[in-house]
Amino acid sequence: MKLEQQIPRNALIWIVLAQFSLLLPHLGRVPMWLVLVYVAAAGTRVLVYQGRWSFPSRGVKVVCAATCLGGIWLSYDSLIGLEPTVALLLVAFSLKLLELAQKKDAYLLLFLAYFVCVTEFLFSQELQVTLYLLAVVTVITAALVALQQPEKLEFSLLPLRRAGVMLLQAFPLMLILFLVFPRIDPLWSVPLQRQAAKSGVSNFMSPGDISNLSLSGDVAFRVQFDDFVPARSQLYWRGLVFSKLEDSTWRALTWSEVPANERRPLVVQNLVGQRFDYSVLLEATQQNWLYSLRYARPSDLGVMSTNDFRLQSPIELEDQKEYRVSSWTDIPIELELSDWRREVETQLPLSGNSRTRELAQQMYSEAGEDSRSFVRATMAMFTEQDFHYTLRPPRLGGNSMDEFLFESRRGFCEHYAAVFVYMMRAAGVPARVVAGYQGGELSPINGTLIVHQFDAHAWAEVWLPGEGWVRADPTAAIAPERIERGLQYSMGDDEGFLSGSPLSPLRYRNVAWVNLLRLRLDAMNYSWQRLVMEFDSAKQYNLLSGLIGEISPARIATLVGVIWMLVLGPVLYTLLRRPARAKLDPATLSYLDFCDRMAAQGCVREPRETPADYARRAIEQRPEWGEQVMAITGAYETLSYLPPLQDQEAQLQKLRNLVRGFRPRKQ
Amino acid sequence: MMNVSAPGPLQQLQTSARRRWKRWINRRIPPARSLTLDQKRIFIFPSRVGIFFLLTLLVMLVAAINYQNNMTFALTFLLANLFVIAVLHTFANLSGLTIKAVRANPVFAGQKAEFEIQLSRGAKRRHRALTLKWSDSDTVTVSLDEAQELSVKLYLRTSERGWHTPGRLLIETRYPLGILRAWTWIDLDIRALVYPRPVASGPLPGIASDRPEGTSVPVPGQDDFYGLRDYQTRDSLRQVYWRSLAKGQPLQTKQFTAYADTSVWLDWNMFEGLPAEQRLSHLCYWALEYDQSKDEYGLRLPGVSVSPALSEAHRQRVLRELALFGVDDEA
Repeated sequence: MKLEQQIPRNALIWIVLAQFSLLLPHLGRVPMWLVLVYVAAAGTRVLVYQGRWSFPSRGVKVVCAATCLGGIWLSYDSLIGLEPTVALLLVAFSLKLLELAQKKDAYLLLFLAYFVCVTEFLFSQELQVTLYLLAVVTVITAALVALQQPEKLEFSLLPLRRAGVMLLQAFPLMLILFLVFPRIDPLWSVPLQRQAAKSGVSNFMSPGDISNLSLSGDVAFRVQFDDFVPARSQLYWRGLVFSKLEDSTWRALTWSEVPANERRPLVVQNLVGQRFDYSVLLEATQQNWLYSLRYARPSDLGVMSTNDFRLQSPIELEDQKEYRVSSWTDIPIELELSDWRREVETQLPLSGNSRTRELAQQMYSEAGEDSRSFVRATMAMFTEQDFHYTLRPPRLGGNSMDEFLFESRRGFCEHYAAVFVYMMRAAGVPARVVAGYQGGELSPINGTLIVHQFDAHAWAEVWLPGEGWVRADPTAAIAPERIERGLQYSMGDDEGFLSGSPLSPLRYRNVAWVNLLRLRLDAMNYSWQRLVMEFDSAKQYNLLSGLIGEISPARIATLVGVIWMLVLGPVLYTLLRRPARAKLDPATLSYLDFCDRMAAQGCVREPRETPADYARRAIEQRPEWGEQVMAITGAYETLSYLPPLQDQEAQLQKLRNLVRGFRPRKQ
Repeated sequence: MMNVSAPGPLQQLQTSARRRWKRWINRRIPPARSLTLDQKRIFIFPSRVGIFFLLTLLVMLVAAINYQNNMTFALTFLLANLFVIAVLHTFANLSGLTIKAVRANPVFAGQKAEFEIQLSRGAKRRHRALTLKWSDSDTVTVSLDEAQELSVKLYLRTSERGWHTPGRLLIETRYPLGILRAWTWIDLDIRALVYPRPVASGPLPGIASDRPEGTSVPVPGQDDFYGLRDYQTRDSLRQVYWRSLAKGQPLQTKQFTAYADTSVWLDWNMFEGLPAEQRLSHLCYWALEYDQSKDEYGLRLPGVSVSPALSEAHRQRVLRELALFGVDDEA
């Protein structure tokens, strides 16, 4: 192999470093064996470098590749979709190490590395991820630089510095291109087919589902109110309505269960009362329902209203989504109940939980068959009797309502909501379970309301004549502090709250500075998501028209041109500034003067000719100069090659005088 | 059918293009002993790796558009601008470099001639991973990092005696990213003297092979007059016997003799009948032989005469005459 095709040692280290830092963020997503493959490949490559092993043969490589392919198939049951594709890329990336012999292999590997960064962005574009990948890109670029330095044998940081400087210079140019590059529609549709777990509230609810969510400190969504923030006890974020109970699981009605004439969204005509305008930035859920306060009206075209006053996106959210909503929280909804609706919302399984049914019917008749008094009486029962609000309720059997109501009496919000609706329906009062989030944390930094997964909540809605659907939250009766202050205040630390997120800074919210730091980071993330991740053609239009007024190709070209000049000009200047003339010592200056005088007589000093050689040649040509030439050359050599003398100055003066006195004449 | 032997139109086009290219580059980068590279002399273009890099960017851009992924847009644009910045860096890595022809050592035909070149940099500039190459020399990669100047030796195979001009020197660099290639072709106005290839021959005519001590063998020389012979056109004018002309007789040349006890005349005419190059090769061989055995020797070629002596300067003079015999020195 030619020397210039070999990979320098320094570059090899940088390549392995780049690969490893790329693998790191994918660790949670790829099967563990893939990491082992990488470690084995890197180890083999190092042994090959040390000469203790040779490159594996073709057969071995084919077997490795085939095994890994099979492994991916087994791990994902598929080779199509984002995760298997990323796993394939990473496998190719690791195995390429085994045939990393020439520079062109290294280039292939490093360009592939840039592409692996893209796959990471498909999973997350958060600020932290972006900053991390920026560092990784610098390392990849450093590996490219190291490839160009064949003589560097030891590991050196020089490539990293060069890469950093270049990326820093490229950064402002990237910004302007990012701003002006037209955001066109996808060239062809590419479903991501992510296998990521669906997060947040799911479209059915069995006991324990919501309490599981309280283990997580992840952000569900953030809300920015235009002016007023409603009182905390009013912050019921409706996401789903469960109208059907089947096998002790509450679920939403499917599309086919709704008759055609009931499918159109219900709209309130007369909008009165307090109005809140806000925008919601929802994290990717892989679901298509959106969260809003009732009664909500979206202002975006991509958001639809439903027949149970919820908001919905036509597609599943594979990325975060921002939408604007106006809500009238006091307005009555669905004053007239259709027969079909009344039937659906009072339906119960034919049998089971007989004690609960009995109790409900008894209480209903005691309340004088008045729905309003019946609701009040049921709520009072929860407060007055010995009911407990807990994250770890005991498991319930087949007649879960009976067991809960008459035996365990310990439950989380979903238990209370479910049993409340069951009792209402048993008495013939239309009621349904609503799932979503309750409350949120108001950030003092930027005024956004941060709603976490542990804010997940389930409550009930009852239909009262003349009032429409009214919210009824049994949790508010049993554990009012849950509604007033949030779950973190109503639960002791031993209750398992946030136990799914051991490292969440939320656990340390009692430490003031940690809490402040957490909120600051969150505010930054929010701005990042809104300004950068959600940057689209509409935001682009607004920003550009603010910058340059009317948007025309000529103006955009001027803008780009000006920015480029501003950046490339100084870069070129620092790169090419004229070299300062090397400083010469006075003896050499004097000697060069002598050389010039000789040259004027046709005796030019050859490049790299030593003074002695030059003198000899000069005397051969012009013997009559002999004495002077010898004296000057001798004086110069004494001054420049011997250790400094005591009478250095005098010697220098002597040389100067000699040179000045040297006035050869032409022959 | 087309006449195959005649140069086809394509060939003609090629020759004319090559001629035009030569004329253009000579105007743009004229030959010089020493020059500093600037934008006039540097060419820059994406390398093959660079084109592959751009293709990667294209794929990334498509991914960014299709997934509407803003960070992928940002990464693509960052790398695209890295390419732009790399143009400046690669250019700057070559620009400001001073190249000076130092010397080319003389060699015998068939050996590799050593060309010494000195690279130097400005006070604050660095030049890394420079590749130097003549069209038929080895490749040398150097960096001008800490040192202010650096001497580089390149070796070129020679075939014919005379002056060997190596043509244009290619200096290229792909530093820092390898995705761009900046290069220059400079004519350093440097040439190496190539002596004839020494070729042994049988014993020299008229000289005893064993050269016994004290034997005096007359060989044509300049020491003692021993007669006259008819003038030959190549004879030195100093040795013409002008008086014969005055007497109306044909021009005659004075013949001198030198004694081969310690000094020898190596004469063109010793190898009567052989082709010129072979004669020179034999003469070269003998010159080296005598130099080695510390005997004085002289050289006589048509129009050239170097009186016998024995010194390094003499050896070089003799070899130079052999190398340049019949060669237009200024060519």
